[in-house]
Amino acid sequence: MWNASVVAVPATESIQRPDFMPYQNNGGTVVAIGGEDYCIVSATTRLGLGFAIPTRNVCRYSILNNRVVLATAGMFADTVTLHKVIKARVKIYEEQQDKPFELRSAAQLLSNTLYYRRFFPYYTFNVLGGLDEDGQGFVYGFDAIGSGEKVKVVCNGTGQALIQPILDNQVERKQQYENKQITNLSLEEALDLVKDVFTSAGERDIYTGDAVDICIITKQRGVFVETFQLKQD
Amino acid sequence: MSQFDGAGGGFQFDLLERNEKLKEKGYRVPVARKTGTTIVGLVFREGVVLGADTRATSDTTVFDKNCEKIHYIAPNIYCCGAGTAADTENTTALVSSQLQLHRLNSGRESRVTTALTLLKRMLFRYQGYVSAALVLGGVDFYGPHLYTVYPHGSTDRLPFVTMGSGSLAAMSVFESKYKDDMSREEAEKLVYEAISAGIYNDLGSGGNVDLCVITRGQTEYLRGYAKENERKFRKPQGYSFPIGTTSILSSTFEKSFVPTPLVSDPESSSTMAVD
Amino acid sequence: MFLTRSEYDRGVNTFSPEGRLFQVEYAMEAIKLGSTAVGIQTAEGVVLAVEKRLSSPLLEPNSVEKLVEIDEHVGCAMSGLIADARTMIEHARVEAQNHRFTFDEAMPVESLTQATCDLALRFGEGVEEDEDKEEEMMSRPFGVSLLIAGVDDKGPALFYTDPSGTYIRWLAKAIGAGAEGAQSALQEAYYKSMTLKEAETLALRTLREVVEEKVESNNVEVAAVRTDTKKFVIYTEAEVKECLSRLENRDSQ
Repeated sequence: MWNASVVAVPATESIQRPDFMPYQNNGGTVVAIGGEDYCIVSATTRLGLGFAIPTRNVCRYSILNNRVVLATAGMFADTVTLHKVIKARVKIYEEQQDKPFELRSAAQLLSNTLYYRRFFPYYTFNVLGGLDEDGQGFVYGFDAIGSGEKVKVVCNGTGQALIQPILDNQVERKQQYENKQITNLSLEEALDLVKDVFTSAGERDIYTGDAVDICIITKQRGVFVETFQLKQD
Repeated sequence: MSQFDGAGGGFQFDLLERNEKLKEKGYRVPVARKTGTTIVGLVFREGVVLGADTRATSDTTVFDKNCEKIHYIAPNIYCCGAGTAADTENTTALVSSQLQLHRLNSGRESRVTTALTLLKRMLFRYQGYVSAALVLGGVDFYGPHLYTVYPHGSTDRLPFVTMGSGSLAAMSVFESKYKDDMSREEAEKLVYEAISAGIYNDLGSGGNVDLCVITRGQTEYLRGYAKENERKFRKPQGYSFPIGTTSILSSTFEKSFVPTPLVSDPESSSTMAVD
Repeated sequence: MFLTRSEYDRGVNTFSPEGRLFQVEYAMEAIKLGSTAVGIQTAEGVVLAVEKRLSSPLLEPNSVEKLVEIDEHVGCAMSGLIADARTMIEHARVEAQNHRFTFDEAMPVESLTQATCDLALRFGEGVEEDEDKEEEMMSRPFGVSLLIAGVDDKGPALFYTDPSGTYIRWLAKAIGAGAEGAQSALQEAYYKSMTLKEAETLALRTLREVVEEKVESNNVEVAAVRTDTKKFVIYTEAEVKECLSRLENRDSQ
């Protein structure tokens, strides 16, 4: 592991340059919960690279307008580029159409943008959250090439396997057979749940840590962002 | 050699040929648990201080948040291990037992150089396939000793050493702050700082700081010297599931086992002597 | 009307010293030869009505199509060179579908009109779209005018476009040969609280006043986009008949 292994190159073969490696995984976890009249979109701030932490405080979310927020895990360079593209498209839209950009339009635009890179994708795992036309909180989860759906709760990124089952159980009451209706978590309960799942993921996933930015979207206040500290190790 | 015959000593290689065949067919070899690690050692005026973090990982998942990486070799010798967890544990345990036998035979305290020789011979024999990177420290008849042992069997003898994925972070602390002839307090603090550098700057390291301070005639194992990475937040309401959350879909009763009654019958028990 | 047109009306993209583009102005003239079309906006929706010129009894009336759907919430009436309108409408349809595909919603009527007009001034000697692909563009302005009617989030809307690429929103607008007379008739009779039914009869009454032929169910087309359904619907011949009989009943009262 620490000793650089010596590779002998046979004389007959030409020395090859290292393979083209366009991707890197910077980790990160994103969670979004849609409530009755609110939506929470959250993203960790640690930027990991191999066993190193180049930065502890990156911004993985973008506020598209006062009711839609996008958050992305995966490769950070692609995240930055993708957010730049989406924000530009939203700005052009709002100027041309003279009306606010709806959540479902954002979902469609994001899906298209990702699918256009079907064979050289943005290495990004997105969640999109906000209030829909009726003022209800909803979220969308996407894979790297644009497949996604409108749901109530979703998690993406390196902590997904740790967090998603807890969210399914607590928000959608999955596996709770006598209690099938979706319980409506209050904003405060949902916030505590988000903080708890990130804390738990931070215990076991090395790429989840440092802090998490939590965007709270309500009709009254628009988008309000708070930062919650996680462990630094 | 019989499959059950492990007493002959050494590893069994009887599955090697099969495994090579399986590899050719595209089966993957299972990955072993590695301890992405920060381990260090430091010589001070009266002895040596060994230090380690407590995180064990498997790929990007933390396997153990509070594992022990400072292994016992002899009462006056300890050894920190980095690399494949199974290799470090078994290599140190093997050498530890050999030294115990040696002490029983010779009636003398073990010497660090003996432990070192046993370790490097073993690792060299297996050509790096036993992936243990070690920091060996102790105090014997000749005074304090500190060594590193690499997986292929090479060794170094130095006043301060670091190993593992966090070795660069830890070494930068040592390089900037190490002095000859430090006091025990200074040495403990510097080792703690070096391990902390690994814990916070290397994703393979984390959790608590363990120390082991060895001086002449005395060894202090300071498990959990610093615990700065305990869980900070817990949901106030917790998680509760009322009875019936998991429904009983159907139930049947079957008589499958009749336990022997503890008390056979009241008649016979009454005849028993009671005091 | 045109005092100094000498030579400056040859090139499609050459201004006269007075700052006029004659070819565009001539294109506007072409519309004045077209069949009359009327659009009326009410709170309940927008009505479009057009005259079909049936120059021969042997002509199949159904094949004359001057009201078309652009998207399910937007329709369009045309006057002038109908072949040119087809190019513009094809462009508008692509824009509308592209908006749906990109944003998962119906395209607002104004931006659809804007997008349609973007095509109007793209005439010239050939425009370089791609660096290596010189595309042959239209060689003259479109000789057609459109009335674009639709309903979106902001409610019903009626737009008028001309060959210069300008678009203007109207409450009630007439285009084509009878435009002048029809427009003053509309101005006379239009009021904002009008119902959709009243708009239907007003549109037909206006056409009847300016069209040479007798207005009948086979030589007019009527369509509407209703605010409640947000759907563009072209009326069947029976529905047109019903509108006409309502108009006649009103006359006899």
